[in-house]
Amino acid sequence: MSTLTDWLRDPSPASRRQARLGQAYLSWLRLKNNRLAVIGLGIVLALVIVAIFAPVLAPHDPITQDLRARLLPPLTAGHPLGTDDFGRDILSRLIVGSRITLYIILLVAVTAPVFGLLVGTVAGYFGGWIDEVLMRITDIFLAFPKLILALALVAVMGPGIINAVLAIAVTSWPPYARVARAETLTVRSSDYIAAVRLQGAGAVRIIWGHIMPMCLPSVIIRVTLDMAGVILIAAGLGFLGLGVQPPMPEWGAMISAGRKYLFEQWWVATMPGLAIFTVSLGFNLLGDGLRDVLDPRNSGK
Amino acid sequence: MALIEIDDLSVTFAARHREVQAVRNVSLAVDARESFGLVGESGSGKSTILRAICGLAPISGGTIRIAGQPVPTRRGPGFSRRVQMVFQDPYASLHPRHTIDRTLSEPLAIHGLPDTDARVVRALTDVGLPPAFRFRFPHQLSGGQRQRVAIARALMLEPEILLLDEPTSALDASVQAETLNLLNRLRAERGLTFLMVSHDLAVIDHMCDRILVMQHGAAVEELPREALAKAQMKTDYARSLFAASADRLLGA
Amino acid sequence: MTLLSVENLHVTFDTEAGVVEAVRGVSFALGRERLGIVGESGSGKTQTGRAVLRLIRPPGRIRADRMVFDGQDLMAAGERDMRALRGRRIAMVMQDPKYSLNPVMRVGHQLMEGLRQRDGLSRRDAHAKAVEALAAVQIRDPARVMEAWPHELSGGMGQRVMIAMMLIPNPDLLIADEPTSALDVTVQAEVLSILDNLVRTRGMGLIFISHDLRLVARFCDRVLVMFKGRIVEELPARNLMQAQHPYTRGLLDCLPRIGGPRTPLPALDRTADWAR
Ligand SMILES: Nc1ncnc2c1ncn2[C@@H]1O[C@H](COP(=O)(O)OP(=O)(O)O)[C@@H](O)[C@H]1O
Ligand SMILES: Nc1ncnc2c1ncn2[C@@H]1O[C@H](COP(=O)(O)OP(=O)(O)O)[C@@H](O)[C@H]1O
Ligand SMILES: [Mg+2]
Ligand SMILES: [Mg+2]
Repeated sequence: MSTLTDWLRDPSPASRRQARLGQAYLSWLRLKNNRLAVIGLGIVLALVIVAIFAPVLAPHDPITQDLRARLLPPLTAGHPLGTDDFGRDILSRLIVGSRITLYIILLVAVTAPVFGLLVGTVAGYFGGWIDEVLMRITDIFLAFPKLILALALVAVMGPGIINAVLAIAVTSWPPYARVARAETLTVRSSDYIAAVRLQGAGAVRIIWGHIMPMCLPSVIIRVTLDMAGVILIAAGLGFLGLGVQPPMPEWGAMISAGRKYLFEQWWVATMPGLAIFTVSLGFNLLGDGLRDVLDPRNSGK
Repeated sequence: MALIEIDDLSVTFAARHREVQAVRNVSLAVDARESFGLVGESGSGKSTILRAICGLAPISGGTIRIAGQPVPTRRGPGFSRRVQMVFQDPYASLHPRHTIDRTLSEPLAIHGLPDTDARVVRALTDVGLPPAFRFRFPHQLSGGQRQRVAIARALMLEPEILLLDEPTSALDASVQAETLNLLNRLRAERGLTFLMVSHDLAVIDHMCDRILVMQHGAAVEELPREALAKAQMKTDYARSLFAASADRLLGA
Repeated sequence: MTLLSVENLHVTFDTEAGVVEAVRGVSFALGRERLGIVGESGSGKTQTGRAVLRLIRPPGRIRADRMVFDGQDLMAAGERDMRALRGRRIAMVMQDPKYSLNPVMRVGHQLMEGLRQRDGLSRRDAHAKAVEALAAVQIRDPARVMEAWPHELSGGMGQRVMIAMMLIPNPDLLIADEPTSALDVTVQAEVLSILDNLVRTRGMGLIFISHDLRLVARFCDRVLVMFKGRIVEELPARNLMQAQHPYTRGLLDCLPRIGGPRTPLPALDRTADWAR
């Protein structure tokens, strides 16, 4: 163990891999010292583990209805979080629903930021009319409230999980483009970019190898902080019946189904609400911690 | 024929509301294997001249020729292998997220040169850094070590001309001495031509054969080294720079 | 008369990479005179200056056997007492005016802020006093500078504004951390003569921190030479050029001189005994 940490902390790494792992280890140490960030990381990891082992963890089938066991309150034997209006176990639905949430998050996280990063760095690096055109397009997307735009898109494309993800991705890339462009503008005039240009590097090499690594931290931080919003929009679409279709146990759709009983059987809507709240909080805490770890301005020494 | 010839060079930046003419009608010529110095207070356009040579500043008039050929508008790979630059601030001129290894092998990759490993190790030893530093990040090095890396990077493509923009002004006196010695050694070994900028007359005097004094973007006076030591300058401005120079202050 | 006396000052930082001892056992006394602190970067000059004002942020810690300013024990003083001392009786000019002036406040406003809040002056009086302070640092057009934003000032102007700001409350001790390092030689000389004049006429104590030995030799009365957090040599400034310690000698000899020989400059030998 101590030889491993020594190897990781070696000030003169002997290979690229050791250098990279050593940096990652230092980041991890910095993250580890931030208690809130560790809590956030714990929540996010818990979500991932629950989603992976959902079929094993869920005590009941999330879809099969049992009308005799309708609307049982929490802490009933066999149903720790109670049951919903079709007699389905809420805990099982939450557990299986975590897969849908994670699926949406992952799909959005690999599409919107990548696209935004590309648009932002290209606009920032080239400047001039390319910048004008790309940023005006970005502004158009930014001008609409996210949920409204997502609603309009889903209304056109039809409800469903893939369309919901697409709609969310299309509405959430512009802020990443803005962040990346701002970062690019400060990086592009720096001496290390001038140096690599002077060595004959082309635009693709400079943007990909030199500018993107500098924009990545701000974008990653932004993505983690935005994940709470993504979950909420997905839930909102589900709530309005435009996202994941019943009987799939999507958290937003579950709240929507429970709102009829909000006063007498409060748990039907509250339990999925708590799940959304917890996961959103987890991502926010993690994002805040990552800001301290990844932000190049903090990692000088 | 001089290796670097600059005729009547003007550089104009389009700042937000007005145009800033950073360099006005400057001419100079540097012979092969010569070391030429530019001095002047900050903002006098010294760095801008070096950047204009590299195509990093907007030229609004005049010509730049290298070995008799006007420099192409897009500088291109041939230019990169001929002319390289060392920047003033070693804290800003190395990519903070790239290892030294990556920084030094990048020019080789761009130009498709073989033997990356051997060349990187040799470049490090040439500038007096242990090969163990190869996989460090810039923030794990001191200012002087970073500037050595920047010099090594500039020499990766084996250029004949090195543009030096205040290469030691961010360094301590003791580290400055080591860096200047290194530059002089490399120049002698490789027959390099230096065009060097500094605000410190003593440094320029130590390094350069001829000196051009600049003020407000214009050339004020060109002096050979001997004339500087004997205080034989013709213009008042050059004389006031000389009088305010740190090692003069004690002379009395 | 001693204005400030410091005995066995230590400043340490607990970092990921272990404990960094920035200042290790520095002792000195200062009257109403100009004391220079020189040394390479990282030798602990800035931390020494900040420690006097107890301006070391965690994870940094200060330890000293004694630190007394004008009869007041600085180690025992509470944060409240320190705040009353800072600016009013001990002022510090930081290295880079860019980071010390508030970028979104006009220069005049910043100069007047302290006068109005601390001394309760009226707007008019504060304005008059601020203009006077700018004139004292040889700013030719104080009315215009009062209305300027910090980014509109050149380096030399910004540094003078900083000095003016620090001098308004008429402190007894001024700590100037590399006040001229970012300036051109011609401007440098001007700022120095302004400082010199102020110290003389107001009878202040001055701690002048710099990495430039020649500057300190010319400008100070007494010099402390620091290396790796320790004082290796203390001597009258006029004797600096005849310093005996190999470190001080090394720093002096490695500077190029106009008309000097073209041989390699002598480098500092860091393997010698004194460097441990
Ligand atoms: N990118 C730029 N945009 C606008 N003005 C610039 C730019 N770069 C330099 N300048 C201006 O050009 C002048 C000369 O600058 P520079 O060549 O850096 O001076 P020096 O290197 O002699 O200190 C300065 O007045 C500076 O403000
Ligand atoms: N926040 C900090 N954390 C760790 N080490 C620090 C910190 N601040 C300063 N140091 C260390 O203290 C030493 C002295 O610094 P400083 O007083 O700023 O030097 P100088 O002003 O002489 O250049 C340096 O070696 C530096 O690395
Ligand atoms: Mg310059
Ligand atoms: Mg300092």
